[in-house]
Amino acid sequence: MTFREFILSRVQLFFFLVTLILAASAILGGILMPEKELHYYHLFSPFIIAGLCTLPSCVTYFRREPTLKQYIFRLVTQFLLTEGVVMLLISPPDNIGDNRMLFYFLLGGAVLIIYVLATLMMWYQKYLQSRQFTQQLKKLQASEN
Amino acid sequence: MQTKITRIQRNQPEFLEIHCHTVNDEVREIIAFVKSRQGQLTGTADDRLYEIAVSDIFYIESVDNKGFIYTKEKVYETRQKLYELEEILKEKHFLRVSKSTLLNLMKVNAIKPALNSRFIAVLYSGEQVVISRKYVSELRKALKGDH
Repeated sequence: MTFREFILSRVQLFFFLVTLILAASAILGGILMPEKELHYYHLFSPFIIAGLCTLPSCVTYFRREPTLKQYIFRLVTQFLLTEGVVMLLISPPDNIGDNRMLFYFLLGGAVLIIYVLATLMMWYQKYLQSRQFTQQLKKLQASEN
Repeated sequence: MQTKITRIQRNQPEFLEIHCHTVNDEVREIIAFVKSRQGQLTGTADDRLYEIAVSDIFYIESVDNKGFIYTKEKVYETRQKLYELEEILKEKHFLRVSKSTLLNLMKVNAIKPALNSRFIAVLYSGEQVVISRKYVSELRKALKGDH
């Protein structure tokens, strides 16, 4: 993957995260704070959070070919950094009372689900690319034979 | 070694004649180069010299500065360097897919995704060859016909 391709994939990840964060906000907000009123400036939150959560994914860029161990280590680092960023960014509402732990637990779970979905999406994209390669390969072989 | 080129009539077959004191590595290299240009590579296996048709080669690998040619049934050792073979075989749909591997695209059955941004080429022989992240863009170009 060239640096340009890497940046493009990060942009895709950013918009995917924006979508998922919006969905997670709607679901979690509906459960935890159904009466809460939001202002227009709250609409920027998914973009800010997605932007900050995309930054840790930069640790997965390698100039040289990584080993499997290095790759997994970087993925885990990325996940932990993302969890850290989200935990720092989002604080529980004042009226939550004794449910602070539950709030952080749900938040951590939501980040995990989003992370797994994003990773699966990237993998699916790669699967589609490999299928396209195979189809092009068959065409090339047919034209040569 | 001196060289002499003689032009011949179109109806006469072209040939290369080498006059040498001994058949040494240098001479063998020249012979191997000429044959590779004609769609054949020279390789050794079981202390015997073989002519290998390029169309029979699945992939060529370099291990510890030694070149190995893989066909469906046999592995041959070659004296030619990987970069030399890459140059000679690029017209014949061979592509560098990693630092040490030259792959014959005509022998690839499917391409599968792999971890750490790599792909795996599954050959008709059932063998699998790793396509490094760095060479994926080259593969894309080659399959689009830009190579």
